[in-house]
Amino acid sequence: MKRKMKKFLNISLLSIVALSSLSLASCKNEVDNIFDDDAVIRLDNAKAMYTDILTSNGGKWQLEYFSNTEEPGYIYLMTFSKDGSVKISGANKWINYIQSGQLTRPAFGSDVSLWEVIADNGPVLSLNSYNKYFHLFADPYDIPSSSSAASDKDVNETGYGHEGDYEFDIMKYSGDTLYLTGKKHELNMIMTRVDASIDDEVYMNEVVAMADSFFNAKVPAVYINLPNGVRWVVKDGASSILKMFREDADEISTSEKHNVIITHDGLSFMDPVTLDGYVIKNFIRQPDGSLLCRDDNQTTMTADHLANLFTNASLVWRSDLKDVGGKFAQLATSIADELKAYNKSTLQYVQVSYDAALETYTLIFNVKKGSVKYNPTYYMSLKSASNTQVAFSVAAEGDRYGELYATNCPSIREFADTFNSTIELSANSLLAPTVMKSSINGGDYVMWSLQ
Amino acid sequence: MKKIQYYISALLLVAVAAMAFSSCSEDKLGPTIFPDVDETLDPNSYSYKLDKFLKENYLDKYNLTFLYKMPDISTNMNYNLVPAQYNNAVDLAVLCKHLWFDVYDKVAGPEFLKLYGPRILLMVGSPAYNPSSGSETVGLAEGGIKITLFKVNAMDINDFQMMNDLYFHTMHHEFSHILHQTKTYPPEFNTISVGKYDATNWTGRGNEVCSKGFVTPYASSEYREDFAETIACYIVYTDAQWATLMDMASRGWTTASSDEDNPDAAYYSFYYYKNNDAEADQTAVYPADERFINTVVNEDGSVTRYWKNERDTQGNRIVVHPVEDKDGVNGAEAIMQKVQIIREWFRTAWGIELDELRDEVQYRQATYDMNELRKMVYDIQ
Repeated sequence: MKRKMKKFLNISLLSIVALSSLSLASCKNEVDNIFDDDAVIRLDNAKAMYTDILTSNGGKWQLEYFSNTEEPGYIYLMTFSKDGSVKISGANKWINYIQSGQLTRPAFGSDVSLWEVIADNGPVLSLNSYNKYFHLFADPYDIPSSSSAASDKDVNETGYGHEGDYEFDIMKYSGDTLYLTGKKHELNMIMTRVDASIDDEVYMNEVVAMADSFFNAKVPAVYINLPNGVRWVVKDGASSILKMFREDADEISTSEKHNVIITHDGLSFMDPVTLDGYVIKNFIRQPDGSLLCRDDNQTTMTADHLANLFTNASLVWRSDLKDVGGKFAQLATSIADELKAYNKSTLQYVQVSYDAALETYTLIFNVKKGSVKYNPTYYMSLKSASNTQVAFSVAAEGDRYGELYATNCPSIREFADTFNSTIELSANSLLAPTVMKSSINGGDYVMWSLQ
Repeated sequence: MKKIQYYISALLLVAVAAMAFSSCSEDKLGPTIFPDVDETLDPNSYSYKLDKFLKENYLDKYNLTFLYKMPDISTNMNYNLVPAQYNNAVDLAVLCKHLWFDVYDKVAGPEFLKLYGPRILLMVGSPAYNPSSGSETVGLAEGGIKITLFKVNAMDINDFQMMNDLYFHTMHHEFSHILHQTKTYPPEFNTISVGKYDATNWTGRGNEVCSKGFVTPYASSEYREDFAETIACYIVYTDAQWATLMDMASRGWTTASSDEDNPDAAYYSFYYYKNNDAEADQTAVYPADERFINTVVNEDGSVTRYWKNERDTQGNRIVVHPVEDKDGVNGAEAIMQKVQIIREWFRTAWGIELDELRDEVQYRQATYDMNELRKMVYDIQ
């Protein structure tokens, strides 16, 4: 009987435990909220927070905008107002096309439209009325004068256009930078707060000037100089679609293309690029004109060594002898006097170049008498002595006019002979060295321009 | 004993069950998780005037949401679309009211659009291109409640033809869809041009479709588009445009290449022979630009056409001949049959006189002053 009673009590207790656990389980999903508020309220708060972030401190931001992976990025300035309007300013060739039908140069444009932070799957910055200088990248019209490299025929992009976004998922806010992702085409972009007092047009023109200073079509290539000493060749810089390959690798089979954006401070790749294990993305312009990688503070982007550029057989360097110093200044004056006395001629320029037919470097003095020009020429060897030094060795002989003018204007010959030494080179920019200074002992110098 | 066990067991079960239920019964519905959105318009908002105009003239009056700030989730994401320009949205908002909503209010009564009008009007800046077919969509009507007007940014208020083709036409076309999606149109409409529709190749068709009984190439794509196009053209075409349509519908058409299956072939309705000599030169010349044809009415009432640009060797004018109509369809008659069915349908299904509607639209199209209309928005304080 006792055993029966005990068994009964055990069964009853088990039943109680089982039912209790069931009853508790039925309420389990209603306890322990992970978040402070409901999803809708949190999203609403996020909208309010990002609206406040965008409009605070004057509300001016710089967007590094990419429409797709095949085109350069462009800087836009956006000034967000609490009344729901946004002033968007830019300077690029597509704006020029809208204004003048030309795609040759960037042009500045500014327009006011509407904006809002909306809630989709998260907070989204929506530029929800048409801004003629920004939404052009989202217009589905055919892109004027676009062509594929393969066929060189104009491609019809009707229905697609540039495929740029005008709505952006707000992914993160950190250090006055908003990290955005295009809602439809999913490209990552960043938007950084800038001083509200800056003038849009002045700022954008400075960006254009920055772009002009980076890549010059006269400079055959620039290099990414990695910390391990390896160089990557960069071509087509002026297009902002950089063609890159390792210096010791085959250009055709190994080159890769990366689109970049010229910013107010430098240059950034659309996505991080890994070269020989080094990850690079953002470059800042340095006082010497080179670009320094902000990510590792070591990698640089420069043109070739100055000595290589000055001795490059395909390049021509000229000086009109107006910006010369020391002994070269005295010689320039003497040359002018002697030419005038000899045959009333004037010196137009002095040129350092390579004569492929004669297979030698030449130092040419371009002299003009009336409408006739003469080129007294002296032959020389020209070699790199270091990255920034070249060794001139001007031969005693010249061509017929060289001999003639050496006899009648001895300062010309003396000017040539003065170069017979190791010359120190410096440039206006290490990335686009279009003006080079050659100097001996510091004070004796000649300024050369790349033709 | 068994009885005692039974009672104890039952009591325990009841107690536990009561506990279980009571533990949940304390839960009460809390406040809504959705925030209480303030619908009041902010007078300091950049778009306040337009928003107020839309609220008073569309939302409050017709329960219609006029969307001009583009919510892309309201569009087909397969298209690449851009928002409407603010100023163009203002223009279209006042034009829709003047040429569409006010017209129906006047002709059909103020309750008509409240009952049958769309509930959403969406403005989109760009056209919706269909790259595969080479066509572009300039309007959409969906589910009897939503109308989308595309290409708002291309609007040129000074180009009446463009305004008529792209916007006024589209408004009435899309609203016709809403109407027939609500009350089906008579099936005999579909019998008039049966066998002549081509849903795939209509984009390659031109004015020659009039001769086959269609008001536009798009009308020849399918029955319901034919229905909506016929209504829209009849309402918005001026008398001169309608007369031209009827004239083209009465002509014969041919292709210079005699290749009627070629969708890119150009169609012509006139030809002439060089030097007026049909025997010496059997090759017909098709004048592409009919603006250079002079039409002369003779004393007997007959008509002779001349080609302006050339003379024969004797200095005589070159006679232009009409292409013989061989398609076996009286295009003008077919179009008017369709109009008559529509007229009856409007009268019986909706209690609206189609011609009264047309007259009102024509009057308003001919007399509206854009600057005055804009004041409805810009003068709002």
